[in-house]
Amino acid sequence: MKLNTVKSIALALALGSTALAGIQPAAAQDKEKFKIYLSLSYSGNAWQSEAANIVKALAATPPYNETVELIEVISGTDPQAQISAYESMIDEGADGIVSFPISSTALNRTIRRGCEEGVLFFMYDATVTENCAYNVSYLTAGFGENTAQALVNELDGKGKIFLSRGVPGNSVDKRHTDGAMHIFNQYPGIEVVSEYYSYWDDRTTQQETAKALAAHPDVDGIWAQAGEYGAVQALLDAGDRLVPMTGENSAGFRLALANPDMQEKGLSGVSAGSPPAQSGYAFKLMMEILTGKRELEPMNIEYPLPWVPAASVQVCEGDVYENGCNVFPADRVPSSFVSEVLNPVLLPEVNVESALNGTPVAGATIQPLPAEVVEAANEPGINCSRCEASETLYELTKIEPTVQP
Amino acid sequence: MANNNPLAETTFVQSGDTRRSAKISRETISAIAVAVLCVVLLLGARFVSPSLGSWSQVETVLILGSFLVVLSFGQGLVILSGGLDLSLPAMITLGGILATNWIGSSDPGAWYLLPIVLLVCAGVGFLTALGIVILRVPPFIMSLAMSIIVSSALLGYTKGTPRGAAPEMAIALMKGSVFGLPAPILFTIGFVILGWLIQSRSIFGRYLYAIGTNVEAARIAGVPVFTAQVLPYVLSATCAGLVGIMLVGYSNGATLRMGDDYLLPSIAAVVIGGSSILGGRGTFLGTVGGALLLTTLGTIISAIGLEFGLRTIIEGAIVLTALLLLREELFQKLGSLWK
Amino acid sequence: MSEVLPNEASTSPAPVMGSLLRQLTQGAGLIVILYVALYAIYGYLQPRALEPYAIAALMNNTAPLALAAAGQTFVVLSRGFDLSLAGVISICNVTLAVVPIEGPGGAALSVLLCLAIGASVGAVNGFLVAYLRLQSIAATLATMIICQGIALVILNAPGGFVAEWIVYEMTDRLWGLVPVSGLVVLSVVALWLMLRRTDFGVAIYAVGADEQAASLSGVNVRRVRFGAFVGAGLLYGLAGFMLSAQTATGNPNSGTPLLLLTFAAVALGGTSLAGGRGGLFASVIGAATLTLLQKVLFSTGVSSFYTGIFQGAVLILAVVFSTAISRIGEEK
Repeated sequence: MKLNTVKSIALALALGSTALAGIQPAAAQDKEKFKIYLSLSYSGNAWQSEAANIVKALAATPPYNETVELIEVISGTDPQAQISAYESMIDEGADGIVSFPISSTALNRTIRRGCEEGVLFFMYDATVTENCAYNVSYLTAGFGENTAQALVNELDGKGKIFLSRGVPGNSVDKRHTDGAMHIFNQYPGIEVVSEYYSYWDDRTTQQETAKALAAHPDVDGIWAQAGEYGAVQALLDAGDRLVPMTGENSAGFRLALANPDMQEKGLSGVSAGSPPAQSGYAFKLMMEILTGKRELEPMNIEYPLPWVPAASVQVCEGDVYENGCNVFPADRVPSSFVSEVLNPVLLPEVNVESALNGTPVAGATIQPLPAEVVEAANEPGINCSRCEASETLYELTKIEPTVQP
Repeated sequence: MANNNPLAETTFVQSGDTRRSAKISRETISAIAVAVLCVVLLLGARFVSPSLGSWSQVETVLILGSFLVVLSFGQGLVILSGGLDLSLPAMITLGGILATNWIGSSDPGAWYLLPIVLLVCAGVGFLTALGIVILRVPPFIMSLAMSIIVSSALLGYTKGTPRGAAPEMAIALMKGSVFGLPAPILFTIGFVILGWLIQSRSIFGRYLYAIGTNVEAARIAGVPVFTAQVLPYVLSATCAGLVGIMLVGYSNGATLRMGDDYLLPSIAAVVIGGSSILGGRGTFLGTVGGALLLTTLGTIISAIGLEFGLRTIIEGAIVLTALLLLREELFQKLGSLWK
Repeated sequence: MSEVLPNEASTSPAPVMGSLLRQLTQGAGLIVILYVALYAIYGYLQPRALEPYAIAALMNNTAPLALAAAGQTFVVLSRGFDLSLAGVISICNVTLAVVPIEGPGGAALSVLLCLAIGASVGAVNGFLVAYLRLQSIAATLATMIICQGIALVILNAPGGFVAEWIVYEMTDRLWGLVPVSGLVVLSVVALWLMLRRTDFGVAIYAVGADEQAASLSGVNVRRVRFGAFVGAGLLYGLAGFMLSAQTATGNPNSGTPLLLLTFAAVALGGTSLAGGRGGLFASVIGAATLTLLQKVLFSTGVSSFYTGIFQGAVLILAVVFSTAISRIGEEK
């Protein structure tokens, strides 16, 4: 018994000392470099890692490879962990923080403190309501209402539909769904027969759609947020019938939309939704401000809503989106790859390898952004607090109704 | 974890034929009760939507439930031996990531690599077991820590971006069909029979009941305690790895969070199936019933047209009701009425 | 493997100061040392770590987990697991965000509200486990699911505003130095040290160590177990209150990330998950260590991909040490 104890202590000590050996004070800082933090929610789904990879690739592209020190921090899904991470970044003397915020409101106090210490905060995709931070997001561009109208058009204004939503209790999911319901509610012929949460994940979407199909095998259309390719798979699992559906930007879904076999089975619709390229745009904007090339007060910046109807899907042959192509073939990227990660206008420096691996493109240098930025409309709880919603909320921007209610 | 439940102890010590008959009556009742609840739910589902309660819904439940059945077999063995395995989500992900990374990216047809993936999972399960048995770290903490470590290692290994495609073997397992029946259903039936043999009809199974009831007594009775304590974790990790491969086959790819939703259901399935969380008591058939009950509930709940919060409340209430109905005291009372 | 009877329950009353010191350090000694050592590393790596602001920020970050872990300790000591905290904290949080009551009076009302929510859920748990004899992990899983549903019904997306008085005063520093959140946690620890000397406190340990023996020696096992769940619920309510003060807003999922962390904190503090041994103070420091570890790992510049490996290793090592040391103590 005693020997065992001693042994285990010795073993533990040995393990402990190796663990501690890895700890050293942060290396002396090169004062010339900008210290930029990339703060993620969690890594591990295609969207989050592509967004991070784009920023990493840009930070490794000349001249930023010489002038930027980029540190990546992952905070899981716990807002408290991100609060703690922001606090640490501020204490470490960050110049700027590019971040996917886990909560739209819980981080505000910490962000305010950072602003007072001169740290720039650039949020991408998800937003915060603290007005000293810059929000770069497509959220205000109306994903929900536009895709809903597209589905209504496909269905001629009547039919049973599923809503495949995101994460329960999440403000982004609520914004999308509110916009969609604003449209669906105008059409008495549209019946939402099942509404389920798919956590923006292919596998969960597939399982939840399979459950919904068990109860409603006669569904006519699906309105989906990210994870949409799982819904296609669930339909194929259940039989040989596909239905019109709208979803986000996975390569699997886009390729399916363009696939004649799938079209034959009944698939049609639109690919729109959240672009990981927002992170790169946010990073470049921030660097232009830090390097004095641009003057911009904290504001909400709208990233345009990607909009690719089935007829416009075009498969790329090279490494970038050129000649109007907008999806990479299946042997190039996994089906979960989020296609809207490149942007020929805003991010000409990067290619598909950058999105997959975070590597810079040989020979590329950072190009200036277009001078103009689009200011986003106010949306309470999304990008501002205690503010009024704009009058154009839920106005259609990408599509016209072809059927009247 | 020592078990001070005198009831369980006496049942074991009395031994001999009475033990078997006592065990059969109580545990069979419990398994039957879960099965009955399942059927009642399925039939009751017709009130929710006329399409429910059909064979196609049963098929959906069996396919979606297959993940939980396989997973909770491992969890059930660990719980039976007096432990608890919180590392399952990470092990599912490990199995899924390795299957897509090793097999999918090189040669999707390389089925012979699948056993190696399972071996790796088993190896990690062995490490967990060593921490518990040799270093005496409580199972709860050891498996939780292992879960954190494996997840982190996978994050670093994939650099956040899982690659590769599903191995053909995994797709065949989840999407194929044999004699007109979906392959995953046949596989699950085979797995259940095998699991039942291991847990209820093998010497190893009997050892587990013994150490789960009282480790010291088992040691005195000549049970190879070390093996009996280590093996459940190894098997549990292997089952989780298998679930990872099944999930990959089902949805054509792996993500780093693919196992997250399965931890609490795996424990719930075991407990609803009539096992004691303290170990030493329970059957695999009960667990299978628990897993199918939870899955059935999931399909029905998602068909109810209420807002999510209310649906969640109903789900919790039904789980609670199931627990109350399956309470042991009730069975004892029923049993005494029988006599 | 019979568990060791609680030392603290059987010791005869000693001089108050000495016994207080012993109570504080007993079992908690190791984790306190680990915490101090980590803090030293943190201070060395990050010079700003010792500024009052940084300390207060760390305390604010620690308080919710510390209080939740303290509550979990009640249940674990009486040999049980409580998953309901994820739901209770969420309900408190969304309630405070939906019904903000301003001013110090409002804050008092809000605390009472949270405590009431926690106590009621705790009472349900206690009833299910102690009187209907459901297994604690299963019963609290069901109540957790129900509570999460209730939180979503109250508020279906993050939003709302917690009363400003709570947000500013509960996260502030007294005289620019002492963090209020630290004081809240400290007063809970003080209350616990008093409670532990009462019949109820002793009975919790007795029930956790050996239910049969406790019952034979006249302890009302059911009532004690019931009380442990209610006590736990009260602390979850307080945790929800402090979490709301820190995040200033409502989130129907806010309690979920704390669930497994409370078990890690309890185990780090050396409380036996098999019941009957350990203490609330140690769990609080265990929780603080987990939060501090995040900070230290950040300052060392370990790649975020691999921080989990360190967290897991520290968890295992700390538990191995504490069991080893307590075993040596017993052998002497």
